Amino acid sequence: MSDAEFVIAAYAVIIGGLGLYTVALWRRLRSIHGPDDEAR
Amino acid sequence: MSAVRAEARTALAIARKDALAELRGRHAAVTTLFFSAVVLLLFGFALGPDSARLAAAAPGLLWLAVVFSGILAVNRLHLLETDDGALEQLALYPVARRAIYAGKALGGFAVMLVLGLVVLGAVGVLFAVDIASAWLPLLITVVLGAAGIAAVGTFYAGVTVRLRAREVMLPLLMLPVLAPLLLAAVKATAAALAGDPFGELGAWLQLLAAFDVIMLVAGAATYGYLLED
Amino acid sequence: MKTRILGFVALGTVVAATAVALFVVAPDLNQGDAQRIMYPHVASAWLAYLSFGVTAISGIGWLWKRDLRFDAVAVAGAEIGVMFTAFAIWGGMMWGRPIWGVYWQWEDPRLTTTALLLALYVGYLLFRRLTDDPERRATRAAIVGIVAAVDIPIVHFSVEWWRGLHQTATIASPDRVLDPAAPPVFVGTLLGMLGAFTIAWLYLMIRRYQLARAEVAREEAVRIERLMAARAAGPSAEVAR
Repeated sequence: MSDAEFVIAAYAVIIGGLGLYTVALWRRLRSIHGPDDEAR
Repeated sequence: MSAVRAEARTALAIARKDALAELRGRHAAVTTLFFSAVVLLLFGFALGPDSARLAAAAPGLLWLAVVFSGILAVNRLHLLETDDGALEQLALYPVARRAIYAGKALGGFAVMLVLGLVVLGAVGVLFAVDIASAWLPLLITVVLGAAGIAAVGTFYAGVTVRLRAREVMLPLLMLPVLAPLLLAAVKATAAALAGDPFGELGAWLQLLAAFDVIMLVAGAATYGYLLED
Repeated sequence: MKTRILGFVALGTVVAATAVALFVVAPDLNQGDAQRIMYPHVASAWLAYLSFGVTAISGIGWLWKRDLRFDAVAVAGAEIGVMFTAFAIWGGMMWGRPIWGVYWQWEDPRLTTTALLLALYVGYLLFRRLTDDPERRATRAAIVGIVAAVDIPIVHFSVEWWRGLHQTATIASPDRVLDPAAPPVFVGTLLGMLGAFTIAWLYLMIRRYQLARAEVAREEAVRIERLMAARAAGPSAEVAR
């Protein structure tokens, strides 16, 4: 693949970023509902 | 019809109150003018000493200096209100919120106009730019630019007036919104100075005017919600 | 729960769309594999604009109805919008380096407009944090959000003009994939990516909205606690607004 490093960098940050944000949201939701609750 | 006239009278009264307070030197306008001069000097040091380069950059430097000094000026105009709780007092009057906004923006416009003209002159001297040859389009550009900065600045000064970290928040909010004004004003200035070789001056001035109108309307429409705090 | 199912659908479609964009669809004749970056870049940009539109409209909703749920939608839109805006800019830069030779191109109106968009809404988010009272915050945020939204078309228009008067030979546009003459496979891949991202967007908006509502409820609970404590302390205690 030509320019592979740029393609990978683009996708890694974008798709990875989506994943990280999702996980961060889950964590914030869990902490605000209290760890004993079912937050999801 | 008389309701409109009452609003207009209120706006003028507020504008005059602000202007008088400025002139009486409670918050000397001289400080802001001096600041703009220092900014221009620093630009000279940063981008000089090649005078050709500075002359080419002059329109951009002019408007950057005006915008940065404008932030200080706008900040101070609203300081007048917080100091003695005057803003809350104003809000109690049965006066259209629009009129309050218009009055403050008018006062701000007067300040910005003076600032803009002074900086224009300073740029002419410091960066060897021939202002006299294009004085009319330059004047119009400064008037339109000053109006836009006043409209936007008055609005955001009102928005940030009682917040902590106001000194940083005001420019942070204002500057991105002012980007189109900056762009258009610089282009118009450059075109005017060059004798408008591509005939684009009119278009940029129209963009400036449109920006001013839109921001004035948006500011007037939403300012009332701020006072109900 | 329905939201959880939505989440799984989002995950599946994003993975599938990514796989197609990276491995299935052919590289562009002119741009090569760098063209693949356009799929998530364009999709992110569209969702950024959608998010900020939602924020502005929700702001109006709050001013009109005074229901804090509107404000929850507004903050969700702004935060998620900032994320997608950052993705769009990053994608634009990653595309720009191989194609233009530089990471940034002032003559590209979309890149510069998107950068300004980022500045506007990061400012919005920072501004929100300075007010603790939920209703005041909602009002102030709504106003700032509305004016920011009003500014966007002006920015777009003026930057287009700005660029237009400096025609350089051929500035390759990142949006060739939107060209009506583009091969249907490219368009199809883009639409697939857009669809997948939109589902993910919806899922994230719902979750962020729930978080916002929970945070307001928590703030309210804390405030009531403090009020009780202050009352218990006696009439001399000052109640802060």
